[in-house]
Amino acid sequence: MPSSVATLLVLVPLLPLAGAIATVVLGRRLGPRAHLPAVAGIAGAAAVALLLLLGLGRETGDGHGPSRPVEMTTTLWEWAGIDAASAGGTAEVPAAVTPDGATSPQRRFSIPVTLRLDPLTATLLVVITSIGLLVAVYSIGYMHDDPGYPRFFALVAAFVFSMSMLVAASNFLLVYVFWEAVGACSYLLIGFWFAKPEAARAAKKAFLVNRIGDFGLAVAVFLLWLTYGTLDFHDTLAPDGTLVSAGILGQERLGDAAGIVGGAVGTAICLLLLLAACGKSAQLPLHVWLPDAMEGPTPASALIHAATMVTAGIYLVARCAPLFVASPGSLALVSVVGATTALFAALIGTMQNDLKRVLAYSTISQLGYMFASLGTGTLLGFTAAIFHLVTHACFKALLFLGAGSVMHAMGGVIDMRRFGGLRRVMPITAATFLVGSLALAGVAPFAGFFSKDEILASLHARGWPDAHHGPHHEQGHGAGAGHAFGPAAPHGATAATAAPVFRLVAASPARQASPSGLDALDSPGTFRVLFWMALVTAGLTAFYTFRAVFMTFTGPTRIPEEAAGHAHESPRVMTVPLVILAVASGLVGWWLFGTHALASFLAATPSLAAPSVAATAVPPAFHLDLALQGTLAAALGIALAAVGHLGRRSDGPQMERFLGPLGTLFANRFYVDQLYAATVVRPLQFIAHLAAGFDRSVIDGVVDAVSGLPGAVGGIVRRLQSGLLQRYALAGMMGTLIIVLALAWQLR
Amino acid sequence: MTLLPLVHDGLLVGAILFALGLVGILARRNLIVMFLCAELMLQGIAVSLVAWSRQHGDWGGQMLVIFVLTVAACEAAIALVIVLQAFARTGRLDAAAWQSLRESNLPRVIDHGLPAPDTVAPRFPRLTPAGVLPEQDEDEVLHREHV
Repeated sequence: MPSSVATLLVLVPLLPLAGAIATVVLGRRLGPRAHLPAVAGIAGAAAVALLLLLGLGRETGDGHGPSRPVEMTTTLWEWAGIDAASAGGTAEVPAAVTPDGATSPQRRFSIPVTLRLDPLTATLLVVITSIGLLVAVYSIGYMHDDPGYPRFFALVAAFVFSMSMLVAASNFLLVYVFWEAVGACSYLLIGFWFAKPEAARAAKKAFLVNRIGDFGLAVAVFLLWLTYGTLDFHDTLAPDGTLVSAGILGQERLGDAAGIVGGAVGTAICLLLLLAACGKSAQLPLHVWLPDAMEGPTPASALIHAATMVTAGIYLVARCAPLFVASPGSLALVSVVGATTALFAALIGTMQNDLKRVLAYSTISQLGYMFASLGTGTLLGFTAAIFHLVTHACFKALLFLGAGSVMHAMGGVIDMRRFGGLRRVMPITAATFLVGSLALAGVAPFAGFFSKDEILASLHARGWPDAHHGPHHEQGHGAGAGHAFGPAAPHGATAATAAPVFRLVAASPARQASPSGLDALDSPGTFRVLFWMALVTAGLTAFYTFRAVFMTFTGPTRIPEEAAGHAHESPRVMTVPLVILAVASGLVGWWLFGTHALASFLAATPSLAAPSVAATAVPPAFHLDLALQGTLAAALGIALAAVGHLGRRSDGPQMERFLGPLGTLFANRFYVDQLYAATVVRPLQFIAHLAAGFDRSVIDGVVDAVSGLPGAVGGIVRRLQSGLLQRYALAGMMGTLIIVLALAWQLR
Repeated sequence: MTLLPLVHDGLLVGAILFALGLVGILARRNLIVMFLCAELMLQGIAVSLVAWSRQHGDWGGQMLVIFVLTVAACEAAIALVIVLQAFARTGRLDAAAWQSLRESNLPRVIDHGLPAPDTVAPRFPRLTPAGVLPEQDEDEVLHREHV
């Protein structure tokens, strides 16, 4: 990597970090200007990230013809390095699998701190820093007069640092570290108003639920280390260009069909990675933390819990695309989880009355969409997911900031039944919110329409493979089949040579008999069901989005008393980011889809340029039939919402009543929280109470008894210390007498 | 070894003196009487030293008694000063008034009761008031009326 590019790449995380540190150090002294270092740092990072994206865009070429993978890495320093010899021979260090199947015993354990730049990273860096900048600017208005003003900006800058490191890290261990770091920032921002019990509880819940996913990531990292003997994404080259060690997602391994381990081990790794992604991206069954996370400040919700952090799971799966493609069953499971979550969250979203919670469930639902798209395992699916990630970041941040603007004006009230007709009070917020809603609902030509269409197309292509571009597609799948969808035996053999630790597991008869029950999922039938689920979700999305729009902005103007009579349009520092995001939500989808810039750019990512993924490439196309279906679903949803809510009082009887018990089920979020409380939380609390009781009675009892013994003895003996002269004299005399008598007895 | 009658009597007198002194020290509360009793014990020992000296025909014992008397005179002077100071502090010659070295939460041992404390309010020197009234030990409050 040229040193100038390396410097720029390092600057992206470094500037927000410097901003965070400066805010921590100077925050109190800067007072009402405490936002300056953080905003300046994030703005610098955004500019640098944009520069990198443009530079990299020129590098990847014009997008015609097969993309060649572009990857640049820069190693800052080596975090940990242990020579195989000093580690006591090769026994502790699993043998590395080189692409030709041989093992090389001479290896070092090393964790280099390496940053990478490839199209995927560059795209996400731009999304993170630019949305981060807009949110930070917005927060100047939203958070002003908050006693924790400097703390908020320090945390936002720290988050931008962690998130850019997460997507720029070129090592699974570093990814894990910053995976935790963004989780910590998220925890601190959800619990920003920690004196409020709900916020503290929500922060704790988010942290604990995320821990389950993080556990999956940790075990996945261990398994990757055992299997591949390295944790690097990239190949390590000697100065003369010879290969020192092949990274998991490096050119060397991706170029070889046997480079990626499939079979049981591969499936285990993928399932663990999926667990991690489910935790961070709030997918079933770990979605419960995200709606509660809305207790945090709204800009933090916009940045972390809508636009960036929750997409870390998408990033992880997209980055590990070759691993997933080598394990088709788990890949199909990604789709199943995603589509189920999308439908499930959309159903809940239809019955929520809290504006932010509607958006939270919508986020879960849209993330489910992205997972559904990733799980197709085609290049179209992966790029569509990232495309949707980008557009979703724009319009969901816009919607959240709009909700924040409403909340700001309504004196902290966010229950949609308590206000209405706000379009007369806050026209800019209303207009931008409408643009965001149109984008979310998937109405042409707003951003969501195009990305959703691509996702539907990717699902459709897997569900009805014959209907899609016949020969080309078949050929693509054929090329992939030998590698990705092949019989189980070669995978077993690969796993056997790959990981001595797993040889027994991999070669066991049971393993041979049932290759992987999961692989049965990977069939067109599954994807047909998923396609219909996604289509229904699109309609529901339009419905709940416009239900929220109509409840909030139409009907008779009503303002809750908490607003204390000064409900007004937000200050310009808040509306300008809204307008910018609205313009982006309007244009970015059309532009990126029209030029295919993003898709061809992303195709140059090494993970997506791997033969197993790249073979599934299809020429860019606009699917009129799918677009019509999607638009029809959206129109139906909007029409339904209009029938029920357009121009009505939002606190009146709601149309959803006709759903009856089903509506109750949705309104209570399918009782998942209650289910968890009954099956996980209560038993754990019971055990905790038992343990606490044992600790308090038995363990503390023993300790207290031991410590009480000297006290009790002392209590008896101290009575002798009367302070009375005569008693001391008597005691002395008695003592003398005893000694004399004892002597006399001896001398007798 | 046979004891001369004189020696026998001497030892007897010494033992009686010592026992009287011991009983006095244990039973009395008046500091001066206790001090006198201690002297009595000392003299009992001195008498027995002299008696043994006669028995052995060794003048060393009687010389030692002269030394003991000298030391006792000095010690008496010091002890009397201490008693006087104690009296100056409490206005009493009662050994039971000095119990503050006991364990903190034990009750006072007041056999037969202390004389009722004087009802006269304590008189403090008329100085410029400075700071808060210092915390006082209850024993001191009970007895210091002359400060």
